[in-house]
Amino acid sequence: MWLGFVVLGGALTVALIGLAVMLLRLREAEQRVRDKESEHLGVLDRLQENEYRLRTIIESEPECVKLQAADGTVLEINPAGLRLLDAGRPEDIIGKKIYDVVAQEFKQIYRENMRRVFEGEAVVYEFKSVTLKGRTAWMETHAVPLRDARGAVYALLGITRDITEHKWAEEQGRRHQTELARVARLSTMGEMATGLAHELNQPLSAIANFARGCIRRLRSGDMAPADMIEPLEEVCEQAERAGEIMRHVRDFVRKSEPRMTAVDINQVVRSVVKFTELEARQHETIVTLQLAPQQPRVWADSIMVEQVICNLVRNAMEAMAETHSLRREVMIRTVPHGEDAIEIEVVDTGPGIDGAVIDQVFDQFYTTKPDGVGMGLSISRSIVESHGGSIRAESRAGGATFRFTLQAIPLRLSNDERRYSIHS
Amino acid sequence: MSDATVFIVDDDQAVARSLRWLIETVRLKVETFASAQAFLDGYDAAKPGCLVLDVRMPGMSGLELQERLAARRTHHVPIIFITGHGDVQMAVRAVQAGAFDFVEKPFNDQDLLDRIQRAIAFDTEQRVREVQRAQLRALFDSLTPREREVLDLVAEGLSNKAIANSLGLSAKTVEVHRAKVMEKMHARSLSDLVKMAMQNSA
Repeated sequence: MWLGFVVLGGALTVALIGLAVMLLRLREAEQRVRDKESEHLGVLDRLQENEYRLRTIIESEPECVKLQAADGTVLEINPAGLRLLDAGRPEDIIGKKIYDVVAQEFKQIYRENMRRVFEGEAVVYEFKSVTLKGRTAWMETHAVPLRDARGAVYALLGITRDITEHKWAEEQGRRHQTELARVARLSTMGEMATGLAHELNQPLSAIANFARGCIRRLRSGDMAPADMIEPLEEVCEQAERAGEIMRHVRDFVRKSEPRMTAVDINQVVRSVVKFTELEARQHETIVTLQLAPQQPRVWADSIMVEQVICNLVRNAMEAMAETHSLRREVMIRTVPHGEDAIEIEVVDTGPGIDGAVIDQVFDQFYTTKPDGVGMGLSISRSIVESHGGSIRAESRAGGATFRFTLQAIPLRLSNDERRYSIHS
Repeated sequence: MSDATVFIVDDDQAVARSLRWLIETVRLKVETFASAQAFLDGYDAAKPGCLVLDVRMPGMSGLELQERLAARRTHHVPIIFITGHGDVQMAVRAVQAGAFDFVEKPFNDQDLLDRIQRAIAFDTEQRVREVQRAQLRALFDSLTPREREVLDLVAEGLSNKAIANSLGLSAKTVEVHRAKVMEKMHARSLSDLVKMAMQNSA
């Protein structure tokens, strides 16, 4: 019996101990859970704190901070951003497309930059914006991609500031620069003209003096016809001398004959775009390219052809700026023209050309610009013609097109031949 | 007609010959020089006339030649500059430096000839005045120091008596000096003498 008790007691004790241990474990576990929970809560608190801190920083940030989705929807924007865009309430902007406040002529550029950010690039870009109140302002955005846990870009984080004043100062500076360049160009031409005028003046005044000397003698009757031979010979000599001066001028001009090499015309077009980038921005013009595939090569003096395309692009930009065209776009196309020619087209969205003067645009000294010299297109034509090509101007509804052809090098040329032509 | 010579300095020989052909129609003598240096070397300042000078020349320019001539102590020949188109500034500088006139190319023949005639008339006048001045100087130089003292005081309007007092001489002696001065200076009257004294001191 006692044994029975003892056994029972022992079992009970074991059970009790076991229970106590279990209880203890449970309590420990409970404590752990509670600890975990408080830890968790702490993390949450900290997260909240962090977010609050970040939010405060962003909210009080003096520059516009915003998040955008790939389609341009504004996800978030801080008060500075709202102020920048003249928006009263967040909902005026949030949920709307950012393009609504991007100036028309910059929408395409803006889209292109957004695309780059969503491809993972950090991009800085400038654009003109039209705020909700219709105010125009220059903006500069530093944009970086925001990635989710898997590394996919889900938003664009952009910090934007108003650079209108800076831009204005820059523009003033550039205008000054352009003006200087123009004055320099004119004064070089002026110097050349002065030198030439002086040169020509010499034989001309000699001719006048000889002729007047004859007239005076004949009037006063103290000249025999035979006495006229000598001065008249002088007159002839001086006329020939004037002709010689003109021949020199022509020779001088002819000295700048093209130096032909095999040229990748698409490459030339790209460098023109680079050269005219600043002006394009200044004139708020988008330059687009539509280039022939297979990198067509032409026989040309690349510098000269570059000059022609530059002239055409600049003319287009100036024509559009002067008439305040709404859409300002210049498209440069290179189009194969049969087997052995490439056509280069410069198409603008400007006012076009008056049909009455379309035949005169290539004439020397023809200009529609108040301070133009009227040499650009005339020089362009002589360059194209010295390349054995031709240039034409066309006017259509909504713009002008200038196109010229250059002699193409057939793609079938063997590599050896091609190498030869490139280096010749 | 006139004894004057038109000196032409022009590096352009054809222009120089044509100017000669034109200027000879008014029966003036013409001498041409191919450079400023050639003129400096060959010009005889004793010959009356005027200088027709191209402002632009290789080597010594027209303006430089003008400067060199101005520095000389001899007679200053009047200069007519011929300037090209757009050389107005140079023309202004030339006139400021004492040029007589300038014509701009292309010029009217009558205009140039008129200016040449005026320059020659001016030169003749200048030379007459120079001769008179030299003669007067020679007359003064013939006076003794005492006679010159007397003349100075006469010119100041002092009476013989006052002059005698001032110089510590007798009135009689002053009278003698004064008569001698009148004679040496070829003066016809007192006022004539005073005028000459004033001209000389001017």
